[in-house]
Amino acid sequence: MARLIGKPLKRNEDPRLLTGQALFVDDVELPGMLHAAFLRSDYAHARLKGIDVSAALEREGVVAVYTAEDMGDDWAPGPPLVIPPPTIEEVTFNTRTQVPLVKEKVRHAGEPLAVVIAESRYIAEDALDDIVVDLEPLPAVVDIERALDADAALVHDDLESNLAAHLVQTKGGYQSAREQADLIIKRRIVMDRGIAGAMENRGIVAYWDNKQQYLTVWDTTQSPIPIRNGLAGMFGLSEHQVRVIAPFVGGGFGPKIMMFYPEEVVLTWATLKLALPIKWIEDRRENFYATTQERGQVHEVEMALTEDGRILGLKDDFIHDSGAYDPYGLTIPLNTQCHVLGPYDIPNFSSELHVVFTNKTLTTPVRGAGRPHGVFVVERLLDIAARELGIDPSEIRRRNYLPNDVFPYDNVIIDQAFANFIIDSGDYLPAMEKALDMIGYKDFIENEQPRLRAEGRRVGIGVVSFIETTGVGPYEGARVTIESSGDVSVATGVGTQGQGHFTSFAQVVAEHLGVKVSDVHMVTGDTAQFHWGTGTFASRGAVVAANAMNAASSIVRKKILELASELLDAPEDELEIEDGEVRVADVPRMSISLGELAQKANPLRGAVEPGTEPGLEATAYFGPNYGATAFGTHAMIVEVDPETMNVEIRRYVVVEDCGTVLNPLILDGQVHGGVAHGIGNAFYEQLFFDDNGQLLNASFADYLIPTSAEVPTIEVGHTVTPSPLNPLGSKGAGEAGAIPVPALMAQAIENAIGEAGFEILESPMSPLKLFNLYYGDKEQ
Amino acid sequence: MSELIEVTVNVNSEEYRRSVEPRMLLSDFIRHELSLSGTHVGCEQGVCGACTIQLDGAAVRSCLMFAVQADGHQIRTVEDLGTMDELHTLQEAFWEAHGLQCGFCTPGFLMSILPVLEENPEVSEETIQRAMEGNLCRCTGYQHIRDAVKQAAEKMVAGGEA
Amino acid sequence: MKIEGEHLFNGSREEVWALVRDPEVLASLLPGTTDLKQLSESEYEGSITLRIGPVTGAFSGKIIVEDENPPESCSLVAEGEGKPGFFKGTGDVELLEQDGGTLMKYGGEIQIGGKLAGVGQRLIDMTSKSMIKQGMKSLDKVLAERTGKE
Ligand code: FES
Ligand code: FES
Repeated sequence: MARLIGKPLKRNEDPRLLTGQALFVDDVELPGMLHAAFLRSDYAHARLKGIDVSAALEREGVVAVYTAEDMGDDWAPGPPLVIPPPTIEEVTFNTRTQVPLVKEKVRHAGEPLAVVIAESRYIAEDALDDIVVDLEPLPAVVDIERALDADAALVHDDLESNLAAHLVQTKGGYQSAREQADLIIKRRIVMDRGIAGAMENRGIVAYWDNKQQYLTVWDTTQSPIPIRNGLAGMFGLSEHQVRVIAPFVGGGFGPKIMMFYPEEVVLTWATLKLALPIKWIEDRRENFYATTQERGQVHEVEMALTEDGRILGLKDDFIHDSGAYDPYGLTIPLNTQCHVLGPYDIPNFSSELHVVFTNKTLTTPVRGAGRPHGVFVVERLLDIAARELGIDPSEIRRRNYLPNDVFPYDNVIIDQAFANFIIDSGDYLPAMEKALDMIGYKDFIENEQPRLRAEGRRVGIGVVSFIETTGVGPYEGARVTIESSGDVSVATGVGTQGQGHFTSFAQVVAEHLGVKVSDVHMVTGDTAQFHWGTGTFASRGAVVAANAMNAASSIVRKKILELASELLDAPEDELEIEDGEVRVADVPRMSISLGELAQKANPLRGAVEPGTEPGLEATAYFGPNYGATAFGTHAMIVEVDPETMNVEIRRYVVVEDCGTVLNPLILDGQVHGGVAHGIGNAFYEQLFFDDNGQLLNASFADYLIPTSAEVPTIEVGHTVTPSPLNPLGSKGAGEAGAIPVPALMAQAIENAIGEAGFEILESPMSPLKLFNLYYGDKEQ
Repeated sequence: MSELIEVTVNVNSEEYRRSVEPRMLLSDFIRHELSLSGTHVGCEQGVCGACTIQLDGAAVRSCLMFAVQADGHQIRTVEDLGTMDELHTLQEAFWEAHGLQCGFCTPGFLMSILPVLEENPEVSEETIQRAMEGNLCRCTGYQHIRDAVKQAAEKMVAGGEA
Repeated sequence: MKIEGEHLFNGSREEVWALVRDPEVLASLLPGTTDLKQLSESEYEGSITLRIGPVTGAFSGKIIVEDENPPESCSLVAEGEGKPGFFKGTGDVELLEQDGGTLMKYGGEIQIGGKLAGVGQRLIDMTSKSMIKQGMKSLDKVLAERTGKE
């Protein structure tokens, strides 16, 4: 077999994207298409006392205006996406899911109150001004540490408090570990909110064709199949009457998985009523309110260590901000709990979690999904411990890594899939050593840093490790077909948001079938083509879907060989598939092209023998027992300008181990993008809410996504520890770049400042916050 | 509704005449009136650069202009560069260097960078950096875009293009 | 957001008081104010068009004067609502005799919401300060006209 897996091939999908020919949702134009605009609440918390749409209806060009009342019995809160874990005892979980249009009470600024459907978006937006809404403002719940106060307003009136969930997870016994400890580090650590910031906002085109009794929905979703199944269920349609297409999607990063967004439900409901195509495209300001966000947590945490820096135990009690609703269950905070354990041998662990409702946009996974928080917590504590014990930061990590003979390693606590958190494989030391080597750690510490310090320059180095649980179940599938032209067509349920699936999946298929990667035509994210699966999230494409590709194409390969053996009259083991044809190994003359074989497999005369199937086609599925855990080390060198507290990143090194690499070019791209996102999370991107729950920086002018000026060159290295859980040995990589950056940047900045007592305990930082932290301390 | 105003523009060497409301954004005009949907809209706040086109040869953000302001002007959009079978040198370089992931920001980058290279492909790293700074990309971390621009510049110098 | 400041008028407390309680003067104070109506002794209604950075739009709103203690002090409540969002403010005004003139001390708090908050936040502080400055200037002018003092 030609080795295609692992080659840095350029991508099949690019020519379309480069020439402006790729279809994104906003490019869909249908005859008679109407446009929707949503009226959204300016208040974060308010009672809806009345809404008068009559003036809007009179405006020329307005077709319909709907409120919650108009939806009648079809109005219902969204289904919970993830049900609460049954396997943890004494878990409290209050499910309150988002509503399509506000009926009684607004729970976050930007929640939709009404929808206008008009001949153009401009008219629809004009008509929003005609709607008269009577909202009675209520005190808002904003600060997560005060959400459970006795006098806090209630986000959900039917609950006794703003508690969304409560649970305790333990491993070993923390208390006794604490008693044996030589050193206890205790800190309060905060991570605040940001947006996902995909360049494409969300959008939907929904069309109910009444004559065909068929619903088509183009949606910027990461999960087209569950959307189809859900919409069919909600509106009493057969799943075969609903087609959901996620065409090219301009970046996902998590929030495009949310099911269901109010707009998805409302647009579908409206087209079923009007039987005309309706388009809604989110604008950027809406995106800041209506698309889910992530990262609000406050940790009270304690680490118990021996004097030689070994971790005896860790106790992490934290509050997680769910926002106004909690359709996503405990996914994010469970990820946090798992990743606090990191690649380390932490025998005793205890973590009490409170999830709270607030009057803010809901939180659902955003690139990293709770993992950066966990990594930030454990890495910060290790840094502080290292300083107190006089141990080098790289050394304290080395002393605490899980040794490589313990895998699969059961961490006892449960993970986001509600199964035991098992790390499938790992070999942490080589990754760290490679990173230290690449960045020249020793030389920097011994020579360069002292030299630059002597010149008065504040330069610092950081090194942190992380793990990333990836590739979770349940399953994905793929159908692989040899066409009569000899090209291969492949369909799978996962959608694509830039991860290069058209190419990396094609490499897997082409490797089995002896064709060119460019001759493999991939259809992703169209439920009419493939309708089993879940979606693109949790860095699972390269693991779950790729292994389904692998399984389906090996079956097709078998079929090819069987048929060719019959036709060429040669035993199968003497056949080889190369350049789109099957040849008898030693007799190159004796060959048959794949196209011809496909035609032969689909006879026009005669009968298909019982027990056989026509065509060279196979569908296969892959579902891992549990997730594969990637890992790695990041290192960086920064220089801090002591006057402005501006931070310049001078070097950035990533060593990542995500098992078998399908396409290193694509992988490097994923890592670069992740790091850039992580730099934003660490230093630039923070959503500011005032006491009334008003977002104060709802634009790209005020919310700073890193530009090319802020993102340095990223040097990427790899180690390869294949996952034993899947035949390809792959692990996911989509989020790994982002996860350790806040922790790393904090360490490097502290190292650059180099003064005892200067500690960074929150993320994101910013030059201003650093300035206050540094000079504020000085004054005291 | 306000009255319609007639606009005549030359887009990608073709003349278009349309009657539009004075408030229609140029980005909407290009995308929805002319069906040239390669130009993308990421913010309508003038920050992301996804909507960048060339107006009389200069890179401008089409979300910050009204269609009527383009009356009588020459516009160039991404559709005017190469075709899928025959990519422009800059597009080719983006392909080679993996300078795009989701591709949503890509047309904007191409249209921002191209006038700089066309004016003088012998660009310094700093010039490249400056040409890119006004465009946001969430996927790539910019590194492969920088690589692509360097590659394209070299090829354009070698090929005497510009 | 908090607002605080003071301004020295060249006139007596009574003169200044009469000035600020005159709806016509009030309307001229804030550029962009239209059809200001006095609803009762202490309540005014009107609309104002504001431009704050990228946010422009009309608000309709009310000003209520409370706890009047002429010519020494009063409290103000102002609220407005419009396409760009809403604002709500409360404040106290105090007039003190100083150096033969009148020192006006004012302080208060403004709450904003909607687009005004989300997109205009960065500029609102600046804008409100410059609006107050302008307002004080025009008050000075009217006062000078009335009293004939420069
Ligand atoms: S859409 Fe024009 S700059 Fe973002
Ligand atoms: S490639 Fe996705 S935003 Fe740039």
